[in-house]
Amino acid sequence: MAKHPHDDINQLVREPIDMAALARLVRAPEDGAVVTFDGFVRNQSHNRPTLYLDYEAYESMALAKMREIGLQIHEKYRIHRVAMVHRLGRLEIGETSVFIAVSAPHRAAAFDACRFAIDTLKRTVPIWKKEYFEDGAVWADGELPPVPAATPRAKPAS
Amino acid sequence: MPKGDLLAPSRTAGYNSPVPPVSQAIRVKVLFFGRLKDLVGHAEDSGEFAEATTIEQLFALYTARYPELAKYRSSVVASRNQEFAAWDTPLYSGDEVAFLPPVSGG
Repeated sequence: MAKHPHDDINQLVREPIDMAALARLVRAPEDGAVVTFDGFVRNQSHNRPTLYLDYEAYESMALAKMREIGLQIHEKYRIHRVAMVHRLGRLEIGETSVFIAVSAPHRAAAFDACRFAIDTLKRTVPIWKKEYFEDGAVWADGELPPVPAATPRAKPAS
Repeated sequence: MPKGDLLAPSRTAGYNSPVPPVSQAIRVKVLFFGRLKDLVGHAEDSGEFAEATTIEQLFALYTARYPELAKYRSSVVASRNQEFAAWDTPLYSGDEVAFLPPVSGG
């Protein structure tokens, strides 16, 4: 994978996410704060007990969108480094599905950037979860990403 | 799924044909995710389509084959080469198109 201009970390993984390692990786002596978001599997959905979840992704596009989010928050906020990792496959209750760590010289930018990153990820990154219950499975309700309404011109693939 | 059977074969020049083909078919990779994949029965397809087929027309061709897809038309977005794309986007040979239901990561 091409080196990220900000040394950010964007990964899709199939094993448990090592949150402590990622939080350590983003910090540097010139930083004063790391804000992390740990999203994990809830034991119920709309009051139905969940057995487990299964995540799938359009992997190449998901990684590209995660990189885009990283670039966006570097532009919007005064932050140092971002780690954004999503897990795929079967996840049990309580297991971390997504983890984001943002380092910054000051806490406000890190909080704002982390919040923006998870909100944007949930709206635009092509990842889907299937929820398994006692009596069957359903694809979770999701959000429809914003898409250009019409294209004035499209270029051939290069 | 048989390849390239969604459209009648385009007119191509025969071995001894004196005229070049009028229209060229384009080869496009088509991906389905989430409930769309379940419905279509596979995640990936590849087919030959008429030149300048749009994403909308491509979806219509698959809807003709899998009529249940029609009810998801308003809750699907499309991408071309890993970028979200408008429905009227024309396709070129070598493109990768994906049909994406509402995303639910996180």
